[in-house]
Amino acid sequence: MGPSRLTRRAVLRSAAVATTALAAPFIHARAAAVVPRGKMVLAWHTNIAPRWLDPQQHDGGATTDNFLDVVHDALIKNFRDQLYDHLALAEHYEFTEDAKSATFRLRPGLKFHNGAPVTPADVKWSYEHYRGAWASVLHERTDGAEIVDDRTLRFEFKRPFLDFPRLIGTANVSGAGWVVPAKYYEEVGPDGFARKPIGVGPYRLVAHEPGNKLEFEAFEDYYRPVHVKQFTIISVPEAATRVAMLERGEADIMYFVPGELIDRVKNNPKVMLAPVVSGSWWLEFPGFQDPKNPFHDKRVREAVSLAIDREAINDAESGGMGRVSGNWINDDVQYAIDWPKFPRDIAKAKALMKEAGYPNGFNVDWVTPAPNYYSRGERVVSQLQNIGIRSKLQVMERAVFQKRLEGGLKEWPGVQIIMNGARIGASWANWYESNFKCGGYLAADRICLRDLDAKFEKYMSSDQPAERKTLAEQIQREILEDYYFVPVFRHAFVNAIGPRIAAQRWQDVFQTAVTTGYAYPWEDIELKEAEAAEK
Amino acid sequence: MRQFMIRRAFYAIVTLFILSLTIFTVVRLTGDPVTLLAEPGARAEDLDRVRSEWGLDRSWPVQYLAFVKNVFTGQLGESFNYEMPVSTLYFQRLPNSLELALAATLISFLIGIPAGIISAVRVNSFWDNFGKIVALLGLSIPGFWLGLVLILVFSVWLHWLPTSGQGGVQHLIMPALALGWYFAASLLRLTRSSMLEVLRSEYIKLAHLKGLPGYVVLAMHAFKNALIPVLTLAGINLVVMINAAVIIEVIFAWPGIGRLLYEGIFQRDFPLVQGVVMEAGIMIVLINLIIDLLYAYIDPRIRLSK
Repeated sequence: MGPSRLTRRAVLRSAAVATTALAAPFIHARAAAVVPRGKMVLAWHTNIAPRWLDPQQHDGGATTDNFLDVVHDALIKNFRDQLYDHLALAEHYEFTEDAKSATFRLRPGLKFHNGAPVTPADVKWSYEHYRGAWASVLHERTDGAEIVDDRTLRFEFKRPFLDFPRLIGTANVSGAGWVVPAKYYEEVGPDGFARKPIGVGPYRLVAHEPGNKLEFEAFEDYYRPVHVKQFTIISVPEAATRVAMLERGEADIMYFVPGELIDRVKNNPKVMLAPVVSGSWWLEFPGFQDPKNPFHDKRVREAVSLAIDREAINDAESGGMGRVSGNWINDDVQYAIDWPKFPRDIAKAKALMKEAGYPNGFNVDWVTPAPNYYSRGERVVSQLQNIGIRSKLQVMERAVFQKRLEGGLKEWPGVQIIMNGARIGASWANWYESNFKCGGYLAADRICLRDLDAKFEKYMSSDQPAERKTLAEQIQREILEDYYFVPVFRHAFVNAIGPRIAAQRWQDVFQTAVTTGYAYPWEDIELKEAEAAEK
Repeated sequence: MRQFMIRRAFYAIVTLFILSLTIFTVVRLTGDPVTLLAEPGARAEDLDRVRSEWGLDRSWPVQYLAFVKNVFTGQLGESFNYEMPVSTLYFQRLPNSLELALAATLISFLIGIPAGIISAVRVNSFWDNFGKIVALLGLSIPGFWLGLVLILVFSVWLHWLPTSGQGGVQHLIMPALALGWYFAASLLRLTRSSMLEVLRSEYIKLAHLKGLPGYVVLAMHAFKNALIPVLTLAGINLVVMINAAVIIEVIFAWPGIGRLLYEGIFQRDFPLVQGVVMEAGIMIVLINLIIDLLYAYIDPRIRLSK
């Protein structure tokens, strides 16, 4: 690692470090002052896979983070409105200007649930043995991890690695920055660890019924105050049952209220809806590069955009609690650009269709929405009829849909529209790479715009933040200006909060809603009865 | 008898072999489980790593041999999602399913058999028509609908029973009722027809002519003989309830085998689906084998017929 230069960023970082260090004793004092009380229950909406309790097996998706944030903790992480760099286990961290090394200093006195101290050796082991999502990239680009002293660890990179903090600090992207006890992990192995995980997070696991129930107890040595003593996560796949549990007080938080039950929850004064604005949805036109394809003409793609009633879709699909935004990439990731809402103008759309040589419209073989969101596909089919685009809805089971996306253009013959959606963390580049880039995991060869891909390659190989930002914005602008993708809306992942939870508004519980649909930080959630008892 | 037993055992083995082949192939035809794990931001190399970890990069014959080997060792393979031996998961959930299935069987007996007997004894009366309506409703009301209505009425409105989960007797009432209701209807119909057949037989007439009281004829002579097909059906129903109460276990968040199967199918957890289906298959084949052997023991005509 070369010597750090004195820059404005370095000064600001030092100030932040100093503030954190000064505040640390008070944080510990506050943690000690709070006595965890009561019990809360989360009604989880699918089954519970034990691997979600093991950060080493992170699958790169937006599910694991709900569980990691209960049992484990990371060096830095997404927290409230901080996207990735909230200081968690690290008391401070330093990412050098040349992006070739990162140094983390652990908080003093950190302990695992089994009482063992958290050491830089555990951090090093966790990183080096990590085998989940992004492991190959992280390991390939890391030269080594050096233990500097009993609380400090430095990662050295082979070349500038600008994405490192975001990759390790975003809980729904990778688990490499989440620390596990090396000795225990080696003793019990991955399967044993997933069944009986030991972490450093706010709750320790006390009982585990695989797939069905997890019972936790507040970890009193956690460095932040934990308010609720017992925490249970129960798998309840049926939405109506989850709502009934909330209404009866058997559950305190429930995830995923489907559209048909939103009014029932809304009309119950005892419970509170928590509509977290989540994934973005867009339309894409596989095979549009073919001059014979009507969508080859930019005017037709623009006409589609003008024909879509985004507000109506948001109202019907998310009870109006989603958001109509201009970009197809969520705004919580690095370099995502703000874009004005696309207007709806049927007259202009018809004029564009006429100009493009389709005054009477044309037939689309299929409109295929991402499963299981078939109703929003139906709305697109019906809205496109207003400008003469006649289409049929094609429904697919999720695995088939994914497989066909991976299969590329040959899987989407004729004239087709796909209504796709995603929530991907950390960087805009992850969205582009999987959904747009030629050869991308899900894009395959459906889009393949060489000039944009060339710019993306330049972005990826650049180690100049300013250049990367310019390229990222340029690429996104071109996609939107040329209507290669037609953004529709960001849907709401609607959750609900029961009457026992102390919350004035739903954001008090879903504090990290910018980056996740889940209710963490768990340690901050308080019960009304506990509040009363404390008074 | 020995030859008969060998023949039946051979048929049972062939059935299980065909079942293993079928379930192995069918689960694989449903698609790649790794694509279900994949979120839109997933990376191809990460998914390839998972495929390799799960052994899905091996050829089908190799995977099949591994599956058969696992069946023979009793482990049934390791679940992709739970990262545990399927047999461990199965036997962890089995007591819960047994508890629910036995309670549901009891409810189906309590409703189905008396109602069937009354229907048969009072043919074309009000009670018979009432029984027919009960049977019709039982067979036509979907379990998930009944379950949700029970939750709404007894949990949300009346606050009498907990909505879901496993605990004491209170937790058992609604799922057992929702599950037993369907089987009660089928038992009712079978009891009624079986009783009608028996009541029309000569020996029942003789019993009446001998001057035996009606209830004695009914209980000691008619019901006893009518019960044989009813018990056979109840035995099969019990196996089905243990292994395939999928909808009810999902609605009531009951941690049983049906829900395990549902999760396995939903997640394309090949070893789990294969394992649960094989366990259920072995149970059904064994019960049928035992019934066949008992029949043959009781009735020599069966064991002598080819």
